[in-house]
Amino acid sequence: MSVVSSPLYVLISGGACLAGTMPSSICTKRWSGSLAGVVALGALMVAGCGPRADFGPVANAKAASEIRATFGASAAAGDAAGGAAASTGTGWGTIRGRFTYDGTAPTMPPYNVNKDQATCAPGGKTPPQEWLIVDSGTGGIKNVAVYLREASRVHDSAKPSGDNLLYDQKVCVFLTHVCAVTVGQSLDIRNSDNVGHNTNIAGKKNTFNQTIPAGATIAYKVQKEEATPAPVNCSIHPWMVGYLLPRENAYYAVSAADGSFEIANLPAGEKLDIQVWHESAAGPGGALVVTTPEAKTLGWTNKGRLTITLQPDEVKEIQVTVPASAFKG
Amino acid sequence: MMTQRFHAICWSLLAVFAAALAGCVEAESEPPKFRLNMTQVTANQLVPAHQQAIADILDAMFGTPDKPFALPETGLDLRKLKMAAGPVWSDQAGGKHGLYRRHCAHCHGISGAGDGPTAMIVNPYPRDYRPGVYKFKSTFNPNEPTDEDLHHTLMDGVPGTAMPAFSVLPPDEVAALLEYVKYLSMRGQMESLLVEFIVNNLDYDPVTEKGSPLDLVNDPDQREEVMALLADDVVAKWQAEGQVVVVPDESAIPPNDRNAAELAASVKAGNVLFYGTKANCVKCHGPTGLGDGQQDDYDIWSKADRQFMLDTDALADSIKTDTASLAELDGEAWDAANAELDAKKRALVERREVAAGLLPPRNAIPRNLRTNMFRGGRRPLDIYRRIHQGIAGTPMPAGGPAVPGAQGTLTEQEMWQIVDYIRSLPFEPASQPQERPLNSEAVVY
Repeated sequence: MSVVSSPLYVLISGGACLAGTMPSSICTKRWSGSLAGVVALGALMVAGCGPRADFGPVANAKAASEIRATFGASAAAGDAAGGAAASTGTGWGTIRGRFTYDGTAPTMPPYNVNKDQATCAPGGKTPPQEWLIVDSGTGGIKNVAVYLREASRVHDSAKPSGDNLLYDQKVCVFLTHVCAVTVGQSLDIRNSDNVGHNTNIAGKKNTFNQTIPAGATIAYKVQKEEATPAPVNCSIHPWMVGYLLPRENAYYAVSAADGSFEIANLPAGEKLDIQVWHESAAGPGGALVVTTPEAKTLGWTNKGRLTITLQPDEVKEIQVTVPASAFKG
Repeated sequence: MMTQRFHAICWSLLAVFAAALAGCVEAESEPPKFRLNMTQVTANQLVPAHQQAIADILDAMFGTPDKPFALPETGLDLRKLKMAAGPVWSDQAGGKHGLYRRHCAHCHGISGAGDGPTAMIVNPYPRDYRPGVYKFKSTFNPNEPTDEDLHHTLMDGVPGTAMPAFSVLPPDEVAALLEYVKYLSMRGQMESLLVEFIVNNLDYDPVTEKGSPLDLVNDPDQREEVMALLADDVVAKWQAEGQVVVVPDESAIPPNDRNAAELAASVKAGNVLFYGTKANCVKCHGPTGLGDGQQDDYDIWSKADRQFMLDTDALADSIKTDTASLAELDGEAWDAANAELDAKKRALVERREVAAGLLPPRNAIPRNLRTNMFRGGRRPLDIYRRIHQGIAGTPMPAGGPAVPGAQGTLTEQEMWQIVDYIRSLPFEPASQPQERPLNSEAVVY
């Protein structure tokens, strides 16, 4: 604001001199002010021509009217032209594997704790951030989410669970940094701290923002599936961050500290479209895009997806070495 | 003498700048066009053909700023939209046209993105209608506002902001504007869904800029899926059946005939809740109630822009790192790494062009509760709703249940006690003008 207002003021006073609406004695005193005003005017004009902002494409009227003409066209025509239904197989298979980091693992700086120090940084010990946790021994990458994008059939073991899932926060940290949950499953949002929190889930399909008193547990059911994990924050302690992935079935895994994951009882005999996500991945929407030759053999796409077909009772091993360039920054 | 010569210099400089300015201005102004949400498009690395397809589909569904259109299934009243849309003019009978551009567009922008020419100089920024998220409403937090909620905001304005009241307009003009705001929200929500649809269902490669087509004319399956998105994920949310209104429990509403002692007891209980760890108001609204607590969070609108800017900075950093590590490679590995680096550099240029058009993100500042100015209205019911459901799109959390029947944090009675306390705050001695200290002088800025 100040950047705009100060030249504006000079501009006005300078302009008044130019237009002869102010006594010339004042104008003479404002010699330098007026000149600055003219210069500022010039600067503003140049700024107007300056950095080009990209406002994107505009609609093509002809293309739009063609599309509009098709609205209301009978859906039956679509069915006739529709492709063959995807083939479904029988039996179940498992994928498991491990993500390892190729390069020097970054050190996680401490969270930026700027209030409630006694609770959030007890004894002056501030917990480290979690945006890229690499195991120093094995090089395993923690918190990579792997999940099936669409299931033609779901094994009993992957059906939405009736059990409550604990979603706890302590020392002003969400204890399950990346948490997957099935739609309809009850999430017990707990505050194990002695200060109040609020849990703000900002998904595309699910939003929730409620006060969670010290020591209390509030139940919440996610309503809809999300394509990518929804960020979870606490507005009172804005450094707190976690991710919640609601899915319609439990065909998901979040990699452990050693980078390992396993999804059991996937439908066998058909193409499985699997999404790989990490909060700091450089791909669109957090897609973990790996372009190494070994990833190419898995059909890894630029949206962090791979296509796998399992044989009944097959256990497929996937070892992925992720280069540092797959992550932001 | 000095002055005359100076004037001559100034005039000639001005002439030069005027000439420079003429170079910036197009000879004839074109009718305004709807624009895409470029942060969304760029963050998802959509290829140009997909961007164009989104613009075309939105035009097919919603028309242009001069010629709006509404599919019957949207339930939007095209007659009202036509009254609100288009350039500003009046007919001979005195009928006003172009109402949105007359009253709203200078702040809220042609596309309803909250990016009109005056957006930069108002605080808070004008609302971006495109996500369909509104702060002051009677519905549960994730739900869209009712027509009545939007009408309330149009008639009363938003106290303490640049949003004026439009209660002096004839009712049919207010109704037209209300319809147009809903129209811009639906259009913006459809835009986001189309971006998601492309990300989830279509292949594309930002490096080669090729992608599998989004073609509703020739692909009836795609058309059906897109129309289902419009019906289920946009239109349904704006219909009364999709909107759940918070209805206070009658038995907990404080009666109007409370005596002073009863009111004082309720205010006291509200005070305890305000400062306690259960309701936790103090954390953000501050120990003084001036809004001087937690101030470094953002609302969703600023957060999206800020994240885009942070990611752009991170991309610039990663280009530096990649450039440095390129020197250690040779042969095919170098080629591959170099191609990736080139793609990142192009993405950075695009991102910076988009970032150049964004408003600087601002922190969400908790309301100063001592001014007796409440943006969503100061009726007890208005404040009750803010406490019950929080404020959508902002850090303000809910005290009541997230959906009807779910577990709330505060009881109905506790929420009304906080309402009483909040309503008493502006009249505490601390909120009133203070006596000037002895021997103090007027402060001159």
